[in-house]
Amino acid sequence: MPEIKTQDFTAASTAAILDPKLRRALDRVAEGFHVARLDRIEEVTQDVWDGWKDQAREIKVHTIENLDYYLELLDKNVTAAGGQLHFAKDADEANEIVAHIVRTRNIKIVTKSKSMVSEELGLNPVLEALGVEVWETDLGEYIIQLAEETPSHLVAPALHKSKEDVAALFTEKLGIPYDEDIYHMAATARTILRDKFMEADLGISGANFVVAETGTLVIITNEGNGRLCTSAPRVHIGITGMEKVIPSMQDLSAFLRLLPRSATGQRITSYVSMTTGPRRSDDEDGPEEFHLILVDNGRSKMLADPALREALYCIRCGACLNICPVYSRIGGHAYGWVYPGPIGAVVSPMLVGLPKAKELPQASSLCGACREVCPVNIDIPKMLLDLRKKTAESPDSSLRSAPEIERVLARLYAKLMSSPKLLKMGVKFGRFAQKLERMTPVFSPLTTDGKWIRNAHIPILSRWTKSRDLPTLPKQTFHELWEKELSPDDS
Amino acid sequence: MPGTPKAEFLQSVREALGRENVPPIEAYPRLAETPSELEQQVAQMRQHIEDNLPALLDKLAKMAALGGWRVHRASRPEDVIEYIETLARDSGTANVVRSNQDVFNQIPLDATLTNLGLTVTTVLRDETTTRESLREEIRQSGIGITGADYALAETGSVIVLPRKGLARLISVVPPVHIALVRAEDLLETLDDLFLLRRLEYHQQGGEMGSYLNFITGPSRTADIEMTIVEGVHGPKEVHMIILG
Repeated sequence: MPEIKTQDFTAASTAAILDPKLRRALDRVAEGFHVARLDRIEEVTQDVWDGWKDQAREIKVHTIENLDYYLELLDKNVTAAGGQLHFAKDADEANEIVAHIVRTRNIKIVTKSKSMVSEELGLNPVLEALGVEVWETDLGEYIIQLAEETPSHLVAPALHKSKEDVAALFTEKLGIPYDEDIYHMAATARTILRDKFMEADLGISGANFVVAETGTLVIITNEGNGRLCTSAPRVHIGITGMEKVIPSMQDLSAFLRLLPRSATGQRITSYVSMTTGPRRSDDEDGPEEFHLILVDNGRSKMLADPALREALYCIRCGACLNICPVYSRIGGHAYGWVYPGPIGAVVSPMLVGLPKAKELPQASSLCGACREVCPVNIDIPKMLLDLRKKTAESPDSSLRSAPEIERVLARLYAKLMSSPKLLKMGVKFGRFAQKLERMTPVFSPLTTDGKWIRNAHIPILSRWTKSRDLPTLPKQTFHELWEKELSPDDS
Repeated sequence: MPGTPKAEFLQSVREALGRENVPPIEAYPRLAETPSELEQQVAQMRQHIEDNLPALLDKLAKMAALGGWRVHRASRPEDVIEYIETLARDSGTANVVRSNQDVFNQIPLDATLTNLGLTVTTVLRDETTTRESLREEIRQSGIGITGADYALAETGSVIVLPRKGLARLISVVPPVHIALVRAEDLLETLDDLFLLRRLEYHQQGGEMGSYLNFITGPSRTADIEMTIVEGVHGPKEVHMIILG
């Protein structure tokens, strides 16, 4: 697996917020993808859209509840089509299966189309150690491979790079003159990768869906690199998570309607490529061998946990990233692992282990926008709360994300807020303290209008208050106002 | 071969689900359908298309244009040939590759293109033509011309299926792709297509064919600063010619 940096979330997100260039890039995505998505929904009407969502969710619920059955059916039909299905319980096993194929088939050059699961497995370094050339061919993936970075978005992996960044990168790594024209840069990548597509012995793809009834792998792309990777080399390996299986080909309709619209706001992508086994004797081209590797790599932990099982319904459209007020300010890298954004904050802790990623479930305002945009109605906020609960209530204090004193304060706050008597006393005390503070502003000054306490460095609470302005307590609370003037008993 | 044996892997999934029974308690309705039920559905679907053909062809043209195809509608084969002649002349290419599908019997365009001085390669393997030489011919071609197994009005897509005389690479390697669509290739929705493919799969004794490709518009990317660039790995220019 690639290096896990989820434990550095606080520092990484703080740094990311202060990066204006990243902010501009994130705004572009929010505007581009999100607005186009809304246009597509309006076009088909909300009712129709909701109907597709319900249909897709129903398919996912059924398949995941009976995953063993569909995996068995898939295995049978991949084999019947002349392909080979491999099961890998973790990243090492999956990588070893690929390595075995590379060694025994004398593979020298590998082209890859975008696969988040291969990022999750850390496959490229394993292949490079075997001495093979590995070429990422999706333009965004190619850029981050040259830059030796990781994707920062599920759909637009290099969104954090400006055109100037890419031009400088091409100059440095490819030895070509600096040229920040986006069309020229895309043409450069086309020329370099075109040769590689034709020379490659092995093409590796991910899978958006795999159809159990027919043993079919489905990839959804715009660039055409997916088609070239799965058509030109003599061996094709598809790698994906075991949750990507769906029962029948007819179940694809709902997903093909939802995924492109949710991801990029397209009605459909330029290419939807479905592969069933290797080429047959009458085919004019296509690979001689077809392998499909299904990985668990922590997914069965999600499956076993009823509160988190629905994270396996995710179709990786990225809509929850584009809408998230947290993601859109810190970007993908701050999340510290392959899967960013709201869904990443659920999936990463389950795949890398909660102790290392205990900060991620906190990276949400629980505003619910992710749940609203999810094309399969995944209740992400509920799962984030569940993970928070798991960290807060863990007997292991190193797993808890908050210091002990915060827990005590939270309990006191709960007491205070559930007793009218205590609350009344608390408000009175607060007003007194506020008066004192106004006379001797030791903690921090008020804003000029006197309505806000700015950057209050209240000792124990400073982790929370240093980045938030607090409203001052009003002269009258609603309760007091009610008793004095509004209560019906008054009249 | 490394990896976890199937039985062991499935057992771990079953344990995670807390589930011992295989198969599912509730049969999945679609998987329980018989070929004759599918046939009935297909007959209804065909009838619906026949009854609405002109409107559906209009919809195909509209959705294809929205998807990035340059759409040309023709009522006679001669118009198609004339249009392709113009495209070929303007493209400045010396080589054209075409598939060997039925549609070219209806629309014979080789002579016209040869008269322009172009070399026309037809995908046809024999003693002298190997898969390797074909691939090289495709790579040298400026235009690839194919038929369509189906055209989908819902999405404006051309669907290609594997067959003798049709290479996968014709529609993705040359910088220009021309797809010839006839009225009889038309389907309305994604559901129509997948229903039909499922029926064919069962009728052919569980053979799906090695691929099914949707093509909708040119190859494109927005990976640098969300700027759309066409023709990044596949064709930059795609033409859908609808005959009928």
